[in-house]
Amino acid sequence: MTLARNIEAAPPDQRGGSPGRAWPGLLRRREVLVLAAIVLIIAASTAAHPYFWSSGNLAFIFADSVVIMFLALGESFVMLGRGIDLSVGSIMGLSAIIVGFRIQNHGMTLLPAVILGAAIGVVLGLGNAILVGVVRLPPIIATLGTLSVYSGLEFVVTNGNQVDTIPDSFTDLGSHTVLPGVPVILLITLPFVLVAAAVLRHTVFGRSIYAAGDDAEAAYRAGLPVRRVLFMTYLISGLFAGLAGIAFLIYTSGASSTTGINDNLTAIAAAIIGGTALTGGRGGAFGAFVGSVFLTVTLTAMSYAHIADVWQPAGVGVLVLLAVFSDTRSRQGGTGRRPGQRRYRRRQGPENLEVVKA
Amino acid sequence: MTTMTALELPKRWRVPGWGLCLLVAIVGELAYFTLTTRQFAGHGTGMLDLTEQFAPTGVLALGLAMVILTGNIDLSAGANASLAAVVAGTALEKGYGPVVAVILAVAVGALFGLFNGLVVAFLGIDSLLVTLATQFVVTSIATSLAGASPPYGFAASFQLIGQGAVDFIPIDLLVFLVAGLIVLLGVNYTTPGRSMILIGYNRRVADYTGITTRRTLTAVFTFSGILAGVAGVLLAAYYNSAQPDIGTDLLLPAITVVILGGVDIFGGRGRIGEVILAVFLLGFMSQGMLIEGDSSLSITMVTGLVLIGALVIKFSLERKNFSQLWTARMRRLRTRSPDLDPPG
Repeated sequence: MTLARNIEAAPPDQRGGSPGRAWPGLLRRREVLVLAAIVLIIAASTAAHPYFWSSGNLAFIFADSVVIMFLALGESFVMLGRGIDLSVGSIMGLSAIIVGFRIQNHGMTLLPAVILGAAIGVVLGLGNAILVGVVRLPPIIATLGTLSVYSGLEFVVTNGNQVDTIPDSFTDLGSHTVLPGVPVILLITLPFVLVAAAVLRHTVFGRSIYAAGDDAEAAYRAGLPVRRVLFMTYLISGLFAGLAGIAFLIYTSGASSTTGINDNLTAIAAAIIGGTALTGGRGGAFGAFVGSVFLTVTLTAMSYAHIADVWQPAGVGVLVLLAVFSDTRSRQGGTGRRPGQRRYRRRQGPENLEVVKA
Repeated sequence: MTTMTALELPKRWRVPGWGLCLLVAIVGELAYFTLTTRQFAGHGTGMLDLTEQFAPTGVLALGLAMVILTGNIDLSAGANASLAAVVAGTALEKGYGPVVAVILAVAVGALFGLFNGLVVAFLGIDSLLVTLATQFVVTSIATSLAGASPPYGFAASFQLIGQGAVDFIPIDLLVFLVAGLIVLLGVNYTTPGRSMILIGYNRRVADYTGITTRRTLTAVFTFSGILAGVAGVLLAAYYNSAQPDIGTDLLLPAITVVILGGVDIFGGRGRIGEVILAVFLLGFMSQGMLIEGDSSLSITMVTGLVLIGALVIKFSLERKNFSQLWTARMRRLRTRSPDLDPPG
């Protein structure tokens, strides 16, 4: 039982190793299924509205998805470690505002802007990391608190102003295409996705995140520095959220004090759709990538199908529900693990809490 | 010295008198605002009028407190309140009486609460996921129902719910206090209430005890939906309009209040009375700051800081060093009596 669960909990790329079973294994992977769904939706929408399959529209979809993609990437790290970061949207907003003002009033160029955005993200992520990793507040509470603080800070920093004049050198990245349908910003984003995927799959640190997320106590007993690993995941989440702020500036060419307020939950939704589990230890960087693209494609297709914009949140909600329903492992009976079971183990006694303290 | 029964269960250590801390903080903050800002106290009843502003948050928080006590969470509560407000507003606009409007609004809240509860309890899907999804769906429904020009300008009899007063006590406050009393008594003194706490403390044990955990969970979510509906009605009546995002912003303050009220986010521990105190603490704080001229977003920031600060203090007190020190001392005191050492 335990063994079976661990095998299932291993990341998808470790399953179905023998070549003969490669295909079923591939089909079982969430990323592949979502990709297939993306293709289907694009095909159906193109059949109905030929303009859907045009360079301009595809570029728009990709540029639109990049912001959520960065957020979901960072969120994936946290979620793989069995945490949750509710503050990514506000971190993105703060980064967009601060960097946006530098660009607008001081003519900052792209590279320093990216570095500054990343730095802001890391500093704000540090707040979450300390609260979760050092003070050991439950992640949902800690990031709820920082969400309030950061979104308040957004308002304080803007002081009623907003960023609205971003030079073309930035916005062109979102609108100019290298290949038909592929905006520059997507090409800039892809290396980040690849690096994140490589870190998660092939480094000790990445594997430690999966281990800590699947079973913190086992990971600790196996000698992994669980708390340090979890600490790092929040830093990384902040880093990606900071980068998302730059992407937001490029895509929307502006930022205000309410930027990112609705993106916290959308980022989590994208990660979930991409197959990353809130229960930790399952999912990956490519999931965040396809999840966010899928979300944007579906929402765009919805507006092409003349569904009013007010139903877009409902679309997100239904997709999340579908993603969860279709994932038998996260449901009762799928693995023999029942909803309360994990908690029960953690609840066994105070000694388990001490153990997690690395 | 208190006598101990040998059967006392090992319990996780808890800051004694968290409620007392909250009470002291409330008195302190009321005194501070009364001294620094003349408008705050008004003519003695000013403070009571302020409660109209945060009573809806309080009602929402009561429902959330129950859900969180079972070890779940309801992210859709705020959106649910919005939808209820819009439903009530639309019903009034269509010419229904206030009573029908209120019943419809609360029924819609209950319906989505029931849906959440059924999915969480019977399909065994994590409540964070389920309510995250329903939150999106409910928001859409509310926005769509409200349309381009959300309903406003309701009948005076409906506005009375949000703006009227019995003698000098605002009806909002009365509704909140009655709801608080019901939840308090229900959680503390009824079988489903106690089962609910056990489910939150340990779902498995609750299952083995023979508690109908699924039914209880469903009921808790439904009740949270009902309270969200009530909160929505209060909002619509107070603001005399039903914007489709009217309750959405209340979700985070409501969760904050529950946590600040000492409810364990993993469920099983917490007291409704302390949550009610926390409602007043945070409510008066934000209203006082508003009167002093702070913007609502900087109040959000202070709320977040208060939440983090309070929890850091509470958690570090409950954690190893301090708590072990304390229990060791208590144990030394107890050794003078023939009682058994509490296990753990």
